[in-house]
Amino acid sequence: MKKILYHIMLVPSIVLGLSGCGDFLEREPKLTQSNELTLSNYTGLNDATAGLYSYLQQTGWYGQSWVLDAEMSSGNGVKDNARNSNRLVTSYNWSYSPDNTSGIWSYCYVVCAAANNIIDNLDGKETDEVTTQDLNNLKAECLFMRAFSLFHCVLTYAQPYSYAPESLGVPVVLHTDPEGQPARETVAKVYEQIVTDLLEAESIIDPEYVRAGITDTKAAVNIDVIRAFLSRVYLHMENWQKAADYATLVIGSGNYQMWTAEQYPDVWGQDVAGNGGEVIFEMYGSINNYDNGSWEDISYITDYDGSGDAMVSNDLLALYDQANDIRYTAGFKTTDESNPNGRMWTAKYPGKGQRVPDANNVIILRLSEMHLNRAEAIQNGATINGVTAEDDINIIRTNRGLTAIGSATQTDLRNERRRELAWEGFHQYDLARWNEPLDRTDFTLGSTNQDIPFPNYRWALPIPQRELNVNGNLVQNEGYTNN
Amino acid sequence: MKNVRLFFTAILMLLSAAVASAQSQEVSGIVTDASTGDPVPFASVMVKGTMTGVSAGADGSYKIKVASRDEAVLVFSFVGYKTTEIPVDGEIIVDCALEVEAEYLKDVIVVAYGTMTREANTGAVTSIKNEGLAESPALTVDKMLSGKMAGVQITSGSGQPGSTSTIRIRGTSSINAGNEPLWVIDGIPVVPGDMRQLSNAGVGDGSSTTFLNPNDIESITVLKDAAAASVYGSRAANGVIIVTTKTGKQGKARFTARAKYGVQQLINDHNIRPLTGEELIDYRRMAAINAGHNPDDPNDEYYYTSALLADGTTDWYKELTRLGTVQEYEINASGGTEKSSYYSSLSYSRNKGVFYGVDYNRFTARVNADMQLTKTLKTGTRVNFSYGDSDSGQMGDLYYTNPIVAMWNILPWTPMYNEDGTYNDNIQENANTNPRAIAAYDTYNDKEYRAQGTMYLEWKPIPQLSIKTTDAVDGTFMDSRQYWAPETNDGEATLFTIRTKDLRLTTSNTITYADSYAADKHHLRVVLGQEAMTETYDYLYGYSPDVNPQIPYPTTSTAASDQVDYYIAEETLLSFFGIADYNFMNKYFIQGSVRADGSSLFGSDSKWGVFWSVGGSWNISSERWMQPANNWLSILKLRASYGVNGNNNIAAYQAYGVYATREYNGYAGMRPATPSNPNLAWEKNRTWNVGLDFGFFDYRLTGNIDVYNRLTDDMLLDKTVPYTTGFATNFMNVGSIRNRGVEIMLQGDIIRSGDWNWSAGFNIAFNRSKVLDIGDSEFLEVSDSRVSPTSNNAGTPLRIVEGKSLYTFYLRDWYGVNPSTGAGLWWTEDGKLTSDRNKARYVYAGSPEPKATGGFNTEVSWKGLSLSAYFEFITGNKTMETNAYIDDGYNMNINATTVSTANYWQKPGDTGVTPKVVAGNPGSYHVSYSTRFLKKGDYLRIKDITLSYSLPQSVLKKIRMNGIKIYVSALNPYTFHDLNLLDPEVGALGYGMGAAHTMVKSFVGGIEVSF
Repeated sequence: MKKILYHIMLVPSIVLGLSGCGDFLEREPKLTQSNELTLSNYTGLNDATAGLYSYLQQTGWYGQSWVLDAEMSSGNGVKDNARNSNRLVTSYNWSYSPDNTSGIWSYCYVVCAAANNIIDNLDGKETDEVTTQDLNNLKAECLFMRAFSLFHCVLTYAQPYSYAPESLGVPVVLHTDPEGQPARETVAKVYEQIVTDLLEAESIIDPEYVRAGITDTKAAVNIDVIRAFLSRVYLHMENWQKAADYATLVIGSGNYQMWTAEQYPDVWGQDVAGNGGEVIFEMYGSINNYDNGSWEDISYITDYDGSGDAMVSNDLLALYDQANDIRYTAGFKTTDESNPNGRMWTAKYPGKGQRVPDANNVIILRLSEMHLNRAEAIQNGATINGVTAEDDINIIRTNRGLTAIGSATQTDLRNERRRELAWEGFHQYDLARWNEPLDRTDFTLGSTNQDIPFPNYRWALPIPQRELNVNGNLVQNEGYTNN
Repeated sequence: MKNVRLFFTAILMLLSAAVASAQSQEVSGIVTDASTGDPVPFASVMVKGTMTGVSAGADGSYKIKVASRDEAVLVFSFVGYKTTEIPVDGEIIVDCALEVEAEYLKDVIVVAYGTMTREANTGAVTSIKNEGLAESPALTVDKMLSGKMAGVQITSGSGQPGSTSTIRIRGTSSINAGNEPLWVIDGIPVVPGDMRQLSNAGVGDGSSTTFLNPNDIESITVLKDAAAASVYGSRAANGVIIVTTKTGKQGKARFTARAKYGVQQLINDHNIRPLTGEELIDYRRMAAINAGHNPDDPNDEYYYTSALLADGTTDWYKELTRLGTVQEYEINASGGTEKSSYYSSLSYSRNKGVFYGVDYNRFTARVNADMQLTKTLKTGTRVNFSYGDSDSGQMGDLYYTNPIVAMWNILPWTPMYNEDGTYNDNIQENANTNPRAIAAYDTYNDKEYRAQGTMYLEWKPIPQLSIKTTDAVDGTFMDSRQYWAPETNDGEATLFTIRTKDLRLTTSNTITYADSYAADKHHLRVVLGQEAMTETYDYLYGYSPDVNPQIPYPTTSTAASDQVDYYIAEETLLSFFGIADYNFMNKYFIQGSVRADGSSLFGSDSKWGVFWSVGGSWNISSERWMQPANNWLSILKLRASYGVNGNNNIAAYQAYGVYATREYNGYAGMRPATPSNPNLAWEKNRTWNVGLDFGFFDYRLTGNIDVYNRLTDDMLLDKTVPYTTGFATNFMNVGSIRNRGVEIMLQGDIIRSGDWNWSAGFNIAFNRSKVLDIGDSEFLEVSDSRVSPTSNNAGTPLRIVEGKSLYTFYLRDWYGVNPSTGAGLWWTEDGKLTSDRNKARYVYAGSPEPKATGGFNTEVSWKGLSLSAYFEFITGNKTMETNAYIDDGYNMNINATTVSTANYWQKPGDTGVTPKVVAGNPGSYHVSYSTRFLKKGDYLRIKDITLSYSLPQSVLKKIRMNGIKIYVSALNPYTFHDLNLLDPEVGALGYGMGAAHTMVKSFVGGIEVSF
């Protein structure tokens, strides 16, 4: 019936001689760019690749809560009872549920999809000005961002590789399908894909490649970033030799120097990391960024004069040589004198001085992590010519105002790692990687889950219920009721 | 109506010219009105049994040639008169006195792409003529229609001058697409939304017809069902409102001047007000004591004694409102010659609002002209210009600068003025903001310029055939300016400038063929048409902090801090359509329409949609076997229709997968912004309608009953999709809603005798909505444009749930006050009572949609004196008393009381009270929405009472006037309701935000002189 009517209606259109109606009805948006156009040439593909990094400043990721949730749930942070903002309470109490869980899932797969769009459209876009290497550099960035996203996702929603590699990980999406309902792969499969992407990225990127046109070149991928991240991934996989080898490649590149104790206090509020310091890769925070968190930015949440939701725990503070360790004296700040309980806050996100609320860079990969990764790998059996675990630990200690130590136990190393990388989003995932329980003494709210044994279902957070609702192939983690 | 007569006359003239005649004998005479004796200009005179005919002249005289004076019979007819046959009988002069026909049946109503007699109509159509409109003190057309048509619900969340109304024809059919009807003015669909940037109704929100002078309107027809509306295809789902403006009548220029003046005040029929100083002191002392404090201790944080009142108190309700005024002046002229006619008008209206800083001025100018170029060619224009200058103050924003917010915040012992006479801005409880100072120094102004021009050219090569093109431009330009003066803004001057533009071009082309066959047994009309529309909307927004207050324009702001934003959207629509009507013996009528619409709004695979309708009616009373009932039954007609139409009322570009720029790290990278949706298509409405029209006792009692069912399919919803697709949601055609209902209209002439006339009318509409499918979601939150997405407001208290009526309140379940302790009690999930609000269960607590809406009117007249009244009612709806400001003492920083607050629990055994007042009350029973504040929202409003006196013809002739009328009128003088609100009309969602300019009442007097 419809069809007949449609044909009837075509008659007057012919009679009136209006044949150009196809174009008349095409009105494309002017303030945005169609998928087809964006992905059709190098300029669009390059802009789309640059866009991948922009997700990092979202509040749920490096803009704030990726870092702070890991601190609050690992005993490094405590909630201030006086501040009832409800921020960071779930991670602090480990009170996750399918309806109230980490949002990393969304960032991870949005970035994966955006990266897939680009990867799938790079072939054959060479022109007189655009070489295959130019396209490979973009592809390397996309592969890195896809691997980087998947890594965060599997860390969040799955048991650690070092504990249960064959347990359920997360879906791996290499080609985005609008109708797709991908199932979860095993943890091992997810890591395999992460490594595959990173190795391909390493092999195709121009070793001299630096993204053009951006303010902070340390906030984009280069070969050192890929290698440093490979070191971290292999460490999680307990592939000790590869973890040590990749750390060695970055350390030996000569592109990075340890911050001295004198430099240490001033490195945290910089607008741009610059060359010659520890920063390998960071999130560039700015109030001008589209996704700037404003009142939710990490600088405001960790500021006593801001919302100050996340305080430093006494458990962490007790680990420092409080007289000599620059990481204690400059890494934390006391509050104003009127504060009765003498609590401290992290000083790693002081803001850039743009305004209130401010913004801050968040360092994702830096040189001291490479030394710590290598030290741990060597302690577990990796061998690097002429380097001991103590050598790496002492490079850090001597640059932090401490004396070198003769021999380092596993505990020494783990405490050094916790002290060095505190408030940078590591400790929760290090505990999981070490299969160590959470043991909290300083616990202010005193409601639930002060200690989390290992193993325990809670080390894998629940998959968001909204995903289960719309993807019939997903299975919830054990321990969480399916709504 | 008169222009329609002209139209028919023109057809007859052409007809007579077209048919060559060979007759030789001539007959002449004059055609007059049997009751008045006045000539009937342009009446048709036909020779029976032939195609010969002429049209009488303007003076009623005619000449016609007949074959034989002895045998010829002349047939005299004219629209509105009974057709009369007179045998010539050899006479040379045959005069004819035509009798007026009962208007009902032959009443011509304007419908889609043409006109139609009421008799031929098959759909659900409601029509009103201008007569009742002119005296109403409302400034806009939409407000005047309220309560006058069954099934047409007109509500407004704002009483601000020039504000928009929400119009719902037969309920709400869509969640994400628009629900406003299509407005068609003089054949051209227009842009109805409010484009003012600073008014309290958002962009495109609701129907605004502020650009139209109501007195320019000849008639308004509302097309409610598919048969009537479907020929408007993808825009017809919410019904169509067809407005026809006036045209001139042949004769010398006739002038009408009108003047109107009146006063206005806020509706507050329950005398709601904040507590006075004395009442508030008592209240606060009690709250302090109940919280374990000592109100007599100067060191206590709740130190309240009557010493606070020593310096006098201020009635902030009174100080922040004023007596508004309305003025309206208009002059129009109309007239014409045999070949041309014109109507032109100029009007000015001024409304000084009931809040300081709220004013509205409007000019409108219209020229309607028609010209017969040749015997077959006719052209005409409809041109309307309007200029609106609107100072909106800060109405609508839930903010301290808004007087309707501030009046409930500010404490009675806070003075309005400083000792030096300047405005006091040391008002801590209101963020140190004095709305009177805001009104005096700041600017919130929109200047709207609108021009609508339509021209048509019609060619009638033969009388049965008309080929017509109508082409229109509709343009709106807006200058909006918001300025925060240093006096109110901590010494800084901040400026916002917004330029908005909307341009729409439309062409509508039709071929109409109408003919009758076999001695008028068969009537056929076919219309084929094509339309195209293109519209562009854009705005440019500038933010200029720190301008020089001496030169408050963007130029004096430092360039570094300026911000500019821009938006543009384009839309096109291309359509082809056809309509066919057929009737047999004026007894059986059938009508069908089909339309194909192509729209730029939809996906590449679904740009075109086909919409259609069929309808039929049966005039039962014309059947021979009904003859016995003819002495009491004037008309009985059964109608039925079915059709499919669409709703394309969505924002542009939603089908496109696009990347948008997102700044990061000093670089404008691109990110996917929306998923592509090549299948995105219209929402579809499938409607059936069965109706019965009846008239008794020579049409003294007429009415109709309609029953309908309207099913919305393929409803556009943001469907949740897995994030693995790269997006959270995708806009898709999934859901389904049903609206069904019954409408009844009755009109009766109770007394119809010479000097005395008494008529009364009644209409009522019952509508039930039901959500049939909302995709995978358990429920949807109702989106409310008044809730800013950036605000901390948790959202709306309304949900959309499958199986329930469209909007359902979802609220914490309140039980009442514990008589022994005064604490508020709630129902818990397991049916127990608790005083802990956080343990209260949530319940679905009813809908803001009324079960029935309607109105009634009556008019009594004696000679020139007439008294009329309009009433409007809604019933069966729930309304949230969000403006109640009850907080049981929780917030002691602000006033937060009303008179109803004073009735709080004081001692064990008190019942029917609000909870015990406790300073800083941790129970916070007031917090947010709950069933405690959900009440029956029924109301009965006296919409309009008018007393008018028209001078009799005898006096007028002496002073050489055509008419003089004086009147007094009251709009919204009283409203019956049970809510603790200023006014029960809080908008279609049944709850206010506590920030809207509530409704006003007006008392006006006016005079109308025509000469």
